[in-house]
Amino acid sequence: MATVTPPSQRGVDRSAHLPDRRPRQNFETWTWFFMRISGLILLFLALAHFAITHIVNDVVETDFEFVVNRWDNPLWRLYDWALLFLALFHGLNGLRTIIDDYVRHPARRATVKALLYGGSMTLFAYGTLVIVTFDGAA
Amino acid sequence: MSPQSTVYDGRSGQWAFIGHRISGFLVFFFLLLHIVDVSLANVDQELYDTVHELYGNVMLRLFECGLLFALLFHSLNGLRIVLVDFFPGMVRREQNLTAGVLFVTLAAGLPGSFIIMKPWLDGNIF
Repeated sequence: MATVTPPSQRGVDRSAHLPDRRPRQNFETWTWFFMRISGLILLFLALAHFAITHIVNDVVETDFEFVVNRWDNPLWRLYDWALLFLALFHGLNGLRTIIDDYVRHPARRATVKALLYGGSMTLFAYGTLVIVTFDGAA
Repeated sequence: MSPQSTVYDGRSGQWAFIGHRISGFLVFFFLLLHIVDVSLANVDQELYDTVHELYGNVMLRLFECGLLFALLFHSLNGLRIVLVDFFPGMVRREQNLTAGVLFVTLAAGLPGSFIIMKPWLDGNIF
């Protein structure tokens, strides 16, 4: 049944007659947002990590003993895991975009992506395992 | 240029885009390598230390300077992209922002590289 707008309200709410213009949130919207947020966090995490391991300490000082002392503190494990997680998925999504731009042949694109995702996920799982299980006994 | 090409006539923005891609690509593959070398700490202490010492030689120190410049440029240019995305008015200052990104990359990267290369400059390593 059609609704009749009373004359007093006509011309007030025009949006009721327009199509819904709210943006649709698809996968690409969320990856766009993830890239901005992870990028902002990584700016601090990655640059501080580099400064600690190459500027404050010389690179040769970050030996096995250094890792033992650092990972004695669970907060450093959390820092390193956050860096691993954010950097890996930020990079993975960047590589996905690069592949979509340059690898046009469908079969080749699928192969390159399968290698990228397979390799990255394996390294992410192994890196996580190392950060969680490292006990300095190796 | 083919219609599928990602090249456009964007001047400083075009160069920033290319630099962002290349630096991001390189840092990503270093990250994969870095996961492997750190993971050796869970395998064997001697092996970790042997592989780790390689990072101290002059070739890999030069590589680390490159990594520093790539990280700085990618971080700061990423910040520029976030600024332009979230504050659209910033697009009018796009050229100034890109110049700022390059300036800070060099201002932080050159002294950082000097510190990384210092043991070699002092003749302590080969």
